[in-house]
Amino acid sequence: MKYLPLCWPTRNGLPPLALVISFAVVFGALAWAAPIAEINPLRLIASVPRLLSFIGNILVMPDAQYFPELFRKMLETLEMAMLATSIALAISLPLGFLAAKNTSPHPAVFHFMRTLLSFMRALPELVWALVFVSAVGLGPLPGVMALAFVTVGFMGKFFAESIEVVDAKPIEGVEAHGAGWLQVRTFAYLPQAMPDFIGSTLYILEHNLRAAAILGLVGAGGVGYDMVMAMRLFDYDRILSIALGIYLIVALLDRLSSHFRSRVI
Amino acid sequence: MTSISLHNVTKQFGNGFHALRGVTADFTPGTLTAIIGPSGAGKSTMIRMINGLEFPTNGQVKVEDRVVNRSNLKEIRGDVGIIFQHYNLVSRLAVMTNTLTGRLKHRSWLGSMLYLFRKNDMDLAFQALDRVGLLDRAWDRADRLSGGQQQRVGIARALAQAPRILLADEPVASLDPVTSEEIMQILREICDRDGITVIVNLHQVDLARRFASRVIGLNAGKIVFDGHPDALDQSTLDRIYHNHTEKEIRNEIPAPMLADA
Repeated sequence: MKYLPLCWPTRNGLPPLALVISFAVVFGALAWAAPIAEINPLRLIASVPRLLSFIGNILVMPDAQYFPELFRKMLETLEMAMLATSIALAISLPLGFLAAKNTSPHPAVFHFMRTLLSFMRALPELVWALVFVSAVGLGPLPGVMALAFVTVGFMGKFFAESIEVVDAKPIEGVEAHGAGWLQVRTFAYLPQAMPDFIGSTLYILEHNLRAAAILGLVGAGGVGYDMVMAMRLFDYDRILSIALGIYLIVALLDRLSSHFRSRVI
Repeated sequence: MTSISLHNVTKQFGNGFHALRGVTADFTPGTLTAIIGPSGAGKSTMIRMINGLEFPTNGQVKVEDRVVNRSNLKEIRGDVGIIFQHYNLVSRLAVMTNTLTGRLKHRSWLGSMLYLFRKNDMDLAFQALDRVGLLDRAWDRADRLSGGQQQRVGIARALAQAPRILLADEPVASLDPVTSEEIMQILREICDRDGITVIVNLHQVDLARRFASRVIGLNAGKIVFDGHPDALDQSTLDRIYHNHTEKEIRNEIPAPMLADA
């Protein structure tokens, strides 16, 4: 075979050296790290029968008697997610402006805010829920607190990054007419970053719903407690009901959010 | 009294590029001046300095006897409106809101956080939109408008702040000839009727000839012509649009200029 009719768009038709090296490094690292994470294909194959029997167990009729209770728990979970997202939204909006390179009043503020935000999202919601449960006791309140806390860490970072990529020309246009510091941020940065803000917020709401669904694990409210109990008692009909309930709400939220987004953007 | 006065203004950018080299010019209130010259001659820099969007490396820019500096920026910008080549509108906001941003200087930060204005601001914005013929588009989003219409919103925004000086940085460079004509007509009318000092950067010599009462020719950061548009003959234009050879630049102009010339 002298030459193939296919070639890459480079000088010599070969893939770029940097690309080849990156691939080699990434695959090398993965192959080296797999045993550390106990990734073993043989074990996976050996477990197939057990996986199948579990799936067989779970394919049962959902527990209809449990539905009213499930509805209450799902409502609580949804409420926790919405409350936490709203609280985080109110806090993240100003923090986002302080944490964006182009709107922060001083580089020191920018670096401090970015460090603070990454600290807030460093640990998962479940860990913070444990902390807040021991602080304020059991129930949805510590759950909401933990969710809001971690969400600020994410949302603040997302907002800051959306602010950093806005077009500079309208900023100059508003600035050049004598608008003040805060006015430039409300009238030029905010409207331009708005589509990204909405997108991030809707995504985070969906994420928080899923997060709220497991917070019950540590007694921080929501449907999670029931799910853990059902797992422990091998109540497969109940597990299926809960899983379907979560799926339904997430799917509904997804539909609603894409409808809303297409109207606003 | 002079409206604007530039005294021996020099501007060197961080990358070493000399945009202006010792420019001196005075502008009488209520005149329309066109600045022409090749790309990179310093036209934009000269205009942007009057609004404090750039500051001179050396020399002074005075607006109504106040030296433009960082401390009086807001005050100066309240008197100086500016329109841009790319309109610089906030495209997601309504035409009306964009026009109202010209009034922000007179509003407090607290009310502005909630997008609140006064009735009086709305009236001024409506008047400004009426003058540029866009009353019927007031509640459309700015990005729904054509280029020429967006530039008229830019003019309305500048007018809403009731400026005494209006700067236009290549306002028609992205527009077709007919629309360009309309925009220049509006600027001329603003100058004549309101006695606003207008300075316009242009690439079209014929527009400068027809609409300006004074033309300044810039080349490589220096004023090479300053006079009545009638005095623009071919040899003058050759001088304004002269492309410096590398040898000339090496002899007359410090080397860093080559990088961006």
